[in-house]
Amino acid sequence: MTHAVQMIGITKLFGSVEALRDVDLTVQSGHIHAIVGENGAGKTTLMKVLYGAHQASEGQIKLNGEPVSFRDSKEAIAAGIGMVSQHYSIIPELTCLQNLVLGAEPGPVISYAAAESRANELAKQMGFQFNWHEEASEISPSQGQKLEILKLLWRNAKILILDEPTAMLAPDDADLLYAKLHELTEQGATVLVVTHRLPEVMEHCDEVTVLRGGKLIDSCPVSQTNPAELAEKMVGQAVTEHSPIPCNPGETLLAVRNLVVKGDKGNDAVKDASFELKSGELVGIAGVDGNGQRELFYALMGTRHSSGEIYLGNQNLTNASTAERIQAGIRLIAEDRHNEAVIEDWSIADNAILGLQRTNRVLAGRSINRNTQAELAKNVTETFPTKFDNVNQRFRDLSGGNQQKVVAARSLQESPQVVLAFQPTRGIDLYVAGLVYDGLIKATREGATVLVVSFDLDELMTYCDRILVMNHGEIAEVPAELRQDRSAIGRMMVGAE
Amino acid sequence: MIDLTYLVAAISFGSLLTSTLTFSAPLILGALGGLCSERSGVINIGLEGKMLAAACATGYIAQASQNPILGLTAGIFVATLLAMLHWTLTQTYRIDHIISGMGINALCAGGTSLISKTFPELGSKQMAAFSIYVYWLCAWTAVIAIWWILKSTRGGLRLYAVGNDPDKSRQMGIKPGKVRLQALLGTGLLTGLAGALIVTNAGSFSDGMTSGRGYIALAALILGGWRPWPTLIAAVLFGLFDSLQLQLQGQPLFGQVIPGEFWQALPYLVTLIALAGIAGKSRAPAGLGKP
Repeated sequence: MTHAVQMIGITKLFGSVEALRDVDLTVQSGHIHAIVGENGAGKTTLMKVLYGAHQASEGQIKLNGEPVSFRDSKEAIAAGIGMVSQHYSIIPELTCLQNLVLGAEPGPVISYAAAESRANELAKQMGFQFNWHEEASEISPSQGQKLEILKLLWRNAKILILDEPTAMLAPDDADLLYAKLHELTEQGATVLVVTHRLPEVMEHCDEVTVLRGGKLIDSCPVSQTNPAELAEKMVGQAVTEHSPIPCNPGETLLAVRNLVVKGDKGNDAVKDASFELKSGELVGIAGVDGNGQRELFYALMGTRHSSGEIYLGNQNLTNASTAERIQAGIRLIAEDRHNEAVIEDWSIADNAILGLQRTNRVLAGRSINRNTQAELAKNVTETFPTKFDNVNQRFRDLSGGNQQKVVAARSLQESPQVVLAFQPTRGIDLYVAGLVYDGLIKATREGATVLVVSFDLDELMTYCDRILVMNHGEIAEVPAELRQDRSAIGRMMVGAE
Repeated sequence: MIDLTYLVAAISFGSLLTSTLTFSAPLILGALGGLCSERSGVINIGLEGKMLAAACATGYIAQASQNPILGLTAGIFVATLLAMLHWTLTQTYRIDHIISGMGINALCAGGTSLISKTFPELGSKQMAAFSIYVYWLCAWTAVIAIWWILKSTRGGLRLYAVGNDPDKSRQMGIKPGKVRLQALLGTGLLTGLAGALIVTNAGSFSDGMTSGRGYIALAALILGGWRPWPTLIAAVLFGLFDSLQLQLQGQPLFGQVIPGEFWQALPYLVTLIALAGIAGKSRAPAGLGKP
């Protein structure tokens, strides 16, 4: 058995910050090798070193036993390495075919007819179908993921690095993807998968390497480990299983009837959605990204026009402004933290009251009550353990994980009635993710209701009292007996059931 | 229906065609120069300055040397130099594209004015120049060439990619800085030709002689949705109304004598209306102004 990749003693410094310390990685040819670890563990950095996007400060890389060193990704691509990063590299304004060939064009003049026939061959080999002349902005995230993989094959990559490849896929699509990856490895390719989904590792991968805090913790065949052990190694302490607190739903708090919301392209992104959230429950919305979750949240916050009815208790919020909704107790953990949740150049203290500026205790006459602000600034940094210097420092200077903690904590201030949480644990590690959910659950037990959108089905299955599924703008409820049935929910997500 | 046939009767269609071609050619060249730049993501408000500087260089060098090749080369050289200055300022020093472009315009307006006032004797000699038809040919060939480059070459694809998303392009092993350098070389060449054409048409350089045509070229580019053929149509449309207004000067409208300024404003008015009406639907390169 040959070693497709050997990384020996890799250390990577960003300025004085050590992202990787003396990490070894050995990947056997023809295997699917998983790299697991929490956010900030150095998984992506290690892969970027292999891909030539970062240069190691120390250490050596060998491909099939031959020492190599890449000054940039171009050289790594030439050596047969391809990487699909977490943030897609597909350019929406180009067609699928243009995206496929970009950066690896067959010559100075491109024959798109010839390119298309090779593209079709590659697609057929993987069992994918593409309308190559469609603009990439039109394709679904899962099509995008498939296109990314074809891009690697177009470049004749023999070593494929996939960073969180299933983050945007429904479970069945994810299984299909791994099946195809297995076919590729049988033909001699080697696959490295960066993931945080342990069930996926157990089911589909051959070996697993665990990183924590930039250091190598363990590397072993998947058959010799189990999810609990992996989770413990990732976190560095035993992960306590979330034990569900029994839910005692009270009165209906938020009632949505026949809600229709237009999408960016003028289509109906949310179609005639009706659902009710009761006091005391945490309800999850499962679904593949782009099925109307975003538009639903915009409509509930009142930042996008919608038709239908929205009631909070007896209060009709259908035509209420966003300000009135916040005053009524609706809170948001926005999806796009930088653009929708905070003003990064403001201080933590100012961001702590951002959005809450019209609530009773914050507003003193026409000015801000500075005592309340100080109290809230203290609360938002203490609700979840946040690393910061002082509340007057710029929000921008917090790390991503700490920013998310503050945003999540802010939504729990000033007696929330309804918390709308869009991927509330994005960018934070497992331990803190657990704390955030505990915080949300605590709010529900105090009488609020929480609606969570997540693309991580396991997360929803762990924490939610009820699960709704959103598919092409339609909302359906997962029957109680299927709430722990991953594949049944997965089929509902893509409308197969 | 008010009878406007007398207006139509006032138009000489033969000369209308020639003057439309004459007026539109510098706009076509200038707009295509802008297309190269803006498709690569570099906002180029400095077309006017480049055209003016090229006109100045071509005019004076062609007079001094009595050599049309030297004159044209000087014009292209100066415009390219300015394009490279714009590249350095925006790409290396990350200066705001609009500010850099305005700076170049101011520099060129002041610089050429200084030269023409300091050396008034320069303008006295006859200027050696290529036939205007050479420039017409250049303008129309450039449309075909750029259309083909965008449609079916590696360079064209990379130009699109960099102009839409420089970061993602970088991930694909493309160097946005390099693509933009090449694009701005194209801008230099085309705006140089545009300036040379303007001065050739007039016979000698005069202060501020581009009179806003760089901006009109930019408007034609935006109106054409940053695509070569629609940009051509926009430039020709403007050229047509510019020729029309010359012929209609002094003609009464609905029995009233219309001030000449109204007719002069006509092409601008048409462009403005067309821009407001149509430009909303066109889509700018998504990466305009991004580092």
